[in-house]
Amino acid sequence: MLDFIIKRLIQVVIVVFLALTAVFFLIRLSGDPTTLFLPPDAPREQIEEYRELLGFNRPLYVQYTDFMKGAIQGDFGESLRSGDDALGLVLERMPATFQLAFSALLLSIIIAIPLGVLSAYKRNTLFDKASVGITVIGQAIPSFWFGLILIFIFAAQLKLFPSSGGGSVNHMVLPVITLALYSVSRFVRFTRSAMLDVLNKDYIRTTKAAGTPTSTLIMKYALKNSLIPILTLIALDLGVLLGGAVITEAVFSWPGVGRLLHQSLMNRDFPIVLAGVFIIAIIYAVINFITDILYAYVNPQIRVK
Amino acid sequence: MRKNKVLITFLLIITMLLAACTEGTNVDGNSSSSPDSSSDANSQGPLVIGFEADATTLLANHDVNYTTDTLIRNIYDPLIDRDSQTAEFVPVLAEEWKNTDEKTWYLKLKEGIKFHNGADFNANAVKFSIDYILDESNGSFYRSRWANVEEVVVLSDYEVEIHTSVPFPSLIQRIAEDLLIMEPGYVEEAGIEKASSEPVGTGAYTFVEWSRDNHLKLKAFEDYWQGKPGIEEVEFRIIPEFSARMSAFMSGEIYLFKNIPVDSVKQFESNEVKQISSSRINYLALSNLVDGPLKDVKVRQAINHAINANELLETVLSGYGSRITGPLSQLNADYAETKEYDYDPDLAVKLIEEAGYSPEELTLTLDTPSGRYPMDSHIAQAIASQLQSIGINVEVRVNEWGQHLEKIQKRETGDMYILGWGPAFDAQSTIENLFTLEAPYSSFYQEDIEKKIKETNQLFDQEARYAGYAELQQQLVEQAAWVPLWQQADLYAVKSSLNFSPRVDEKMNVFEMSWN
Repeated sequence: MLDFIIKRLIQVVIVVFLALTAVFFLIRLSGDPTTLFLPPDAPREQIEEYRELLGFNRPLYVQYTDFMKGAIQGDFGESLRSGDDALGLVLERMPATFQLAFSALLLSIIIAIPLGVLSAYKRNTLFDKASVGITVIGQAIPSFWFGLILIFIFAAQLKLFPSSGGGSVNHMVLPVITLALYSVSRFVRFTRSAMLDVLNKDYIRTTKAAGTPTSTLIMKYALKNSLIPILTLIALDLGVLLGGAVITEAVFSWPGVGRLLHQSLMNRDFPIVLAGVFIIAIIYAVINFITDILYAYVNPQIRVK
Repeated sequence: MRKNKVLITFLLIITMLLAACTEGTNVDGNSSSSPDSSSDANSQGPLVIGFEADATTLLANHDVNYTTDTLIRNIYDPLIDRDSQTAEFVPVLAEEWKNTDEKTWYLKLKEGIKFHNGADFNANAVKFSIDYILDESNGSFYRSRWANVEEVVVLSDYEVEIHTSVPFPSLIQRIAEDLLIMEPGYVEEAGIEKASSEPVGTGAYTFVEWSRDNHLKLKAFEDYWQGKPGIEEVEFRIIPEFSARMSAFMSGEIYLFKNIPVDSVKQFESNEVKQISSSRINYLALSNLVDGPLKDVKVRQAINHAINANELLETVLSGYGSRITGPLSQLNADYAETKEYDYDPDLAVKLIEEAGYSPEELTLTLDTPSGRYPMDSHIAQAIASQLQSIGINVEVRVNEWGQHLEKIQKRETGDMYILGWGPAFDAQSTIENLFTLEAPYSSFYQEDIEKKIKETNQLFDQEARYAGYAELQQQLVEQAAWVPLWQQADLYAVKSSLNFSPRVDEKMNVFEMSWN
């Protein structure tokens, strides 16, 4: 097991390293930040001077090596525009993004699992068909569009919630619903099929024949056994939610990492972009790592493979 | 049922706990008060202004950026400002200014003005603020514009002299557009980092709270030298998405925002939209710096005749803009009237043939940004279609903004590109920066024109200067250096409870606003 964990840890490091390398070169392809920083009437010498000051006149491989050396020590440099510590700025925004992603996850679980269970239990009824239909639509609707519709109805027309910004529970309602939509749909479908699998098993039929009440049958015997794959999906979906938060944050002006990254990319504030990518890559890799370890723990065959 | 209740309670508790973790938790509820709910200024909540992007720093004299400058101008005062409608210079912290000789500017400052921390405003503050720009180690992005300044000399508490290395007639413009006055004692004591996030100025509003990318809150400065501001509290709320800004406006969360897209104006009540002809101009550059048929003046003139700018203005921009015919807008100090190239496709074909081409064999590329200027990429497509109607093939390339600028700087654009310039108020900054060989955003160069530009820039005599720029404007039009398009129209959404007049320089000075 220890070997397995070490191997997986090495993989985490490689994934993060590759992600940083890829993003480093990709953003450099987009050009040089000095263009956007200096006034439009800055003469050429001044532009060159700033490129030298910020180190953008050095060969790309030298810039890359220096960046990696710093990154290993957790130093991603300073924001080119404001001079603040890049990693610090990203970490400052993490709570807001986590807040959105975790609330959406929680909301999704609370709505989706009972709905999925009920859908499986009442399979092929109108309720089941309607719920499957709705989840298909839920997965197909782009979140930015859904977000705008919510803003239009609940903020602009009904004036129930603020349309954008952060800071209070009221501000959270619409972005959390937007972000949860996709996960709810996925969880409902997955819970439904996991439940159907279990409900078709012989032991359920036997328990049912023995006169066990329906609620006990579902809660105690069926749901419990379908829960492991559902939990795996939920863990993996946290990564999807954090990713999805980027778009939702943009639509609702939510002051999280997604918006910071989006804005920094537009401003070509490279240190912030790289620090953000680093944090997101680590979160993804660690979630996958934990899921793998849990799998291996539950099913030793995975380790052997 | 009991279980459901437990679940809902659990959800609420978790949500509230998570919400409490976030910085800037707002519990006062003031900010969501409806703007239409009251017309009494005393019972009004804060004035909330929707803004597209946040300042990158609250330190003055550092970041050359419209958003940063607009926000902090409510905290810091300039020495000289521009009139909001005519763009003429008006005194603010400086009382008067004059040239003592070609390389020396003298400024007399107003007395009795206090900074927010109680310190006195004086000549030292002016010297400190200019020295901040000049000091290389501060990395101010303004420094290139001030490179000709040699020294700031404090003559007395309220008198300074600025010495320049060369005659620098446009220094006054730099003072008006760039320079904001910081409190030297505070910056030195608190350090740059703190001064960048908790600014102290002499402006109409004092700093209250800044939650980056979320909001900037300010409150009226009781001892403001021009009198207490009419609006007690201001919040700039950062809402990057237009649709979200519009919803916030419709729901009454914000009272004012800038840049309504021209195709969305109809969605607002007519009394909620205010417009002003901006000093920003949009044009189609016809580059003679890249190889191609546009090196020939006849082809450039032909393109001017083949593009119907009036039609583009009416159809694509729904009339929001004012036509320009030369490289300057009417708001420019040295504007001279220039001849308009009539829309004449037949003449265009004839000129192209005279240049030794046939329209069908011309394939031109047109670079455009997307979303930077009103309908920019739509305009590019429409121009392509107008040129195609006389047989010229046009390939439109849509660029991300940063990439667009870089292509222009490196002369990697196609034959033509769309760009805006401004806010611009004097001839020098436009003409020097767009028509000389070494300027980063130039698209056109001709030896004799460049020579004339350099001579005119150094003229102090107002009449000679005007005559020089007027001649240059005529020459540039004759040489068809661009297809001049229009002055942009700045469109603002304003709630009727707010008294606001748009400024030609796109600034939002809250001191000039009041509740109706």
